[in-house]
Amino acid sequence: MPEELAVRIEDLSIKYKINVDTKRTLKNAVMRASKGERVRTRVVEAVKHLTLDVPHGSVLGIVGANGAGKSTLMRSIAGILPPTEGRIIVNGKISTLLALGVGFNPALSGRDNIILGGLASGMTREEIEAKTEEISDFAALPDGFIDMPVRTYSSGMYGRVAFSVAVNMTPDILLLDEALSAGDASFKEKSFNRMRELCKEARTIVIVSHALATINELCDSAIWLHKGSMLAKGKPDAIVDQYLKFLDVGALPSNFEDM
Amino acid sequence: MPGPVKNSDFVSKIQVFEPHKAALPPLVPYFREFWKRRAFATELARFADKAEYLDSKFGKVWLVLNPLLLAVVYFLLVTVIRGSGSKNLGLTTLAHILIGLFTFYFAQNCISAGAQSITAGGRLILNQAFPRALLPFSSTISAFQQFLPTIPVYIFVIVVGKQFFPTTQVPGLTWSYLWTPFIIFMVGLTGFGLALLFATMNVYFRDTNKLLTYMTRIWLYLSPILWQPSMLHGWHKLAIYLNPLGPVLSANSDVWISGKSPSLTIILGSLFWAAFAILFGGYFFISRERDFAVRI
Repeated sequence: MPEELAVRIEDLSIKYKINVDTKRTLKNAVMRASKGERVRTRVVEAVKHLTLDVPHGSVLGIVGANGAGKSTLMRSIAGILPPTEGRIIVNGKISTLLALGVGFNPALSGRDNIILGGLASGMTREEIEAKTEEISDFAALPDGFIDMPVRTYSSGMYGRVAFSVAVNMTPDILLLDEALSAGDASFKEKSFNRMRELCKEARTIVIVSHALATINELCDSAIWLHKGSMLAKGKPDAIVDQYLKFLDVGALPSNFEDM
Repeated sequence: MPGPVKNSDFVSKIQVFEPHKAALPPLVPYFREFWKRRAFATELARFADKAEYLDSKFGKVWLVLNPLLLAVVYFLLVTVIRGSGSKNLGLTTLAHILIGLFTFYFAQNCISAGAQSITAGGRLILNQAFPRALLPFSSTISAFQQFLPTIPVYIFVIVVGKQFFPTTQVPGLTWSYLWTPFIIFMVGLTGFGLALLFATMNVYFRDTNKLLTYMTRIWLYLSPILWQPSMLHGWHKLAIYLNPLGPVLSANSDVWISGKSPSLTIILGSLFWAAFAILFGGYFFISRERDFAVRI
């Protein structure tokens, strides 16, 4: 893989089976078997034959309707979901902010959660402890909240901590899935600044967002995913325009009104 | 999952994610990543105890009190059903039930907490890539930490008991106690292996845990805890070897109650079940763990 690439995706397809039945219990399985019914499953083709290169130091935006395969693509870049076909080569340390839950244990304090997240990502105890202050300063929670159980947090505070963890791990590649909706205007400004800093340090960011203004403002290229396939690739404003046209709502201001 | 790895100073620099044709991911990188993150498992165990206040003073007392009270209940049950024996037998029975229950609880805690570790750790699984076996491993560490303080409690009960019943058969200090670390290790391995198995099952069938509560109860009665292995004769002895915890609990009785070293067949039986549980549970878990993110 060429040196200047952070992520190379070659002919990637991801399929997985989902269970149609709501309750996945042993009891139901036995009852179903006794009636001679089969398990109803459905194969989801989340990503279809996607090829894409992301150079170091670039910010890639991904737009697309719900169910387009954006989150699946992000998870596969993070190494959480294995590809069904094709392959992904990643050059660098990845930091993720993918699920809204971001792996927090609600019974533990923000600080404990930060430490656990760092250790899970492969940092040593010393490395993450050195970062904890920085992360909690960046999140700037009200007095003492960082040592309170996460279940006492407002959703804004929750999101701020999660975002601070993701951006302060000095990642080479930062994957953000709808992560910017957290926090108020001032925190958002701070987040944007931090992301611009990361870019200057030649770090790579991939953003999934429905907030199209964010894509326009931060990204230097964008792709449009639709039902697992890449429909377009190019400059963010061009992609956003095409996407909006497709949605058949035109460039209504409400879409730019930010999350 | 992670393919060829270069310069793994922090997190492997270049990672290649490819479809897995084989059921198992490359095991060397898997265990390397597992080992690198072992601090995660120990911290998670500590934090989980903290969240349940088990790090508080009363929390620790409760950890010991719970099996202790149960042991008293079972002791009453057993002596009532069997009728009153000599007083000497009384302390032996109590000692056997105590150490058996404490050890059994260690395995049971590994399994029941481990079985829920994946479904409970869902958010972490959705956000980060790491060897998932760390989650049940953390439950095993936690179960071990809860088991440790029960040993001094047992010793205390026996030392005090011996003052009242000096003629009891419960042994004092013998060399056979040197088998204890081996026994604890075997129980831990078997518990971890079964935790891996049931954690995977719990992802596919969310009521596995309910089933487990019945299973462990029946398992307790089938294990040499309320009855002594020496009570079995002829082919009934097979009951010990068909039970994953049977040999190791027999070894436990040998050491703590009879004051002798376990027999070779008992040791081989313990080794067999520990290896079987780890290999079978490990295969079942690791070959399916890449599926967990879409099933959580």
